[in-house]
Amino acid sequence: MHSQLPVLRRSLLESWRATLGWTIGVAAALLLYLPLFPSIGGNDQMQQLIDGLPPELVSALGYDQIGSGAGYTQATFYGLIGFLILSIAAITWGASAVAGAEESGRLELDLAHGIGRVQYVIETSLAVIVRLCWLVLFASVLVIALSGPSELDLGIGDVGAAALALGGLVLLIGAVMLFVGAASGRKTWALFAGTAVAVGGYAVNAVANQSPDLGWLRVFSPYAWAYHQPPLTAGPNAAGITALFAVSLVCLVLATALLNRRDISG
Amino acid sequence: MDLAITTAALRKEFGACTAVDGVTFEVEVGTVFGLIGANGSGKTTTLRMLLDIIRLTSGSIEVLGQDPRQGGASLRKRIGFLPGELRLEGRATGRQILDFYASVSGPIVPGAVEQLTERFGVDLDRPVGDLSRGNKQKVGLIQAFMHEPELLILDEPTSGLDPLMKREFIQLVREARDNGQTVLLSTHILSEIQQCADSVLVLNKGRAVANGDVESLRLTSIRYLHAGISGAQRDVVQDRLTRIGNVRDVVTSARAGGGIRLAATVDGPVDDLMKALAEFTITDITIDEPDLEESVLSLYEKPVGGGHGA
Repeated sequence: MHSQLPVLRRSLLESWRATLGWTIGVAAALLLYLPLFPSIGGNDQMQQLIDGLPPELVSALGYDQIGSGAGYTQATFYGLIGFLILSIAAITWGASAVAGAEESGRLELDLAHGIGRVQYVIETSLAVIVRLCWLVLFASVLVIALSGPSELDLGIGDVGAAALALGGLVLLIGAVMLFVGAASGRKTWALFAGTAVAVGGYAVNAVANQSPDLGWLRVFSPYAWAYHQPPLTAGPNAAGITALFAVSLVCLVLATALLNRRDISG
Repeated sequence: MDLAITTAALRKEFGACTAVDGVTFEVEVGTVFGLIGANGSGKTTTLRMLLDIIRLTSGSIEVLGQDPRQGGASLRKRIGFLPGELRLEGRATGRQILDFYASVSGPIVPGAVEQLTERFGVDLDRPVGDLSRGNKQKVGLIQAFMHEPELLILDEPTSGLDPLMKREFIQLVREARDNGQTVLLSTHILSEIQQCADSVLVLNKGRAVANGDVESLRLTSIRYLHAGISGAQRDVVQDRLTRIGNVRDVVTSARAGGGIRLAATVDGPVDDLMKALAEFTITDITIDEPDLEESVLSLYEKPVGGGHGA
């Protein structure tokens, strides 16, 4: 009866409906936005409309590059709706991973069986990572498939760079939540931390875009680490993406260490 | 004498609150050990420390020859645990949950789950979130017993079970003992202890107030008498009963419509009392066992010990 990675397999099995739902959400967003590029982004009238908007609004939304296929895809999907969908997925999964299991009493019963605490954190983290990777991969394949018909002119390498940036960003959100959940055992605190990283990072980046004097703020924005150098046109930002993955790894290691040290509450 | 559990000066503090305060006890292999006490007496905290779900502040624990912290997952595979507040939620069916725990704590003997399921009569194909409190408890009991662990740690195992299932549970515990397994069960229901436990630890506010074999603790020696008597004077009845050595708290009162209402407490044999009562005309009588709280209260007045090792 022994099986490999039982907690990971259980998490994936139990959440396949949710994963399917998020996948449909990603597909709907891409199928809604990307085919509109020839009539919106590449349209001179649209460009004139955007030129007429307050520049602060345009830079906050990331619409300043909307005339190119890469800029349009970044502004609509990777920077906005795709980021939103994957962030919410990461926040949902990150909250239920350790803190949610603890609050529901499941963690107590699981750990009373032949499951180690380190193993538990590693496997639940992997379950979050696998599902986020799936969503990023699915989005990437669909973006590549739509690139031609929607006249976006995106290369596979460009999409790969954007996938790394988006994947790293939502991974960080999930990892921070696992860390806070493992440290506190409180779902609410984990939710607060994950939302702070997602919304706070986005807001700080939007403020930083307002003036070159505020550019230093980007250091505090994981969103900026991922996207300040537009991955679809300029390739992956090595420093930013390394930071996303490194901080995520540190959070996961700390989560493992902290859960292993403390009392489990029922 | 092989010991399944030993603790020494076990102590657990949560901030400023001391939940368990210097508890020392031993559980012999192949026996049923009852842990009793009121809510908040430290039962659940003690059990959780045995499983390394929470960590002790000081003292020491050995479970199946190992420190629970060091023993880790491989030690806990040898233990079956039922939490006091079992919460099973969600869409997973009972069978999926049992399959999962079998995969991490197995192997289990083929047919073991089916046999337990049949005894308890629970539908394993329904989502556990839809099950009643009692049926969730049955799933919880099955996951604790199914891999025939050397040690069973059961926190309030019969809560939510109907009387028939309680009896089935007691039978299961006896079979486990006959099978050489050790059972540690916490409860506040005295009759369960009487029916299956070999020895008992009574906790009050985190401290052990009694520890020993069930008989020596004489948990059940107190009885409450209520009777109606006709054709006798109150002071005669009062005087007659007060003279019996082990009868106390004698209260008589006149009953509307004639006769006397009598209440008294007997500690120990009831023979003298019954013979004294036989001198009167008794219209009705009940003799009740005390509930656990009263038994425990009576234990506070006695010195700790009386059983093995004490």
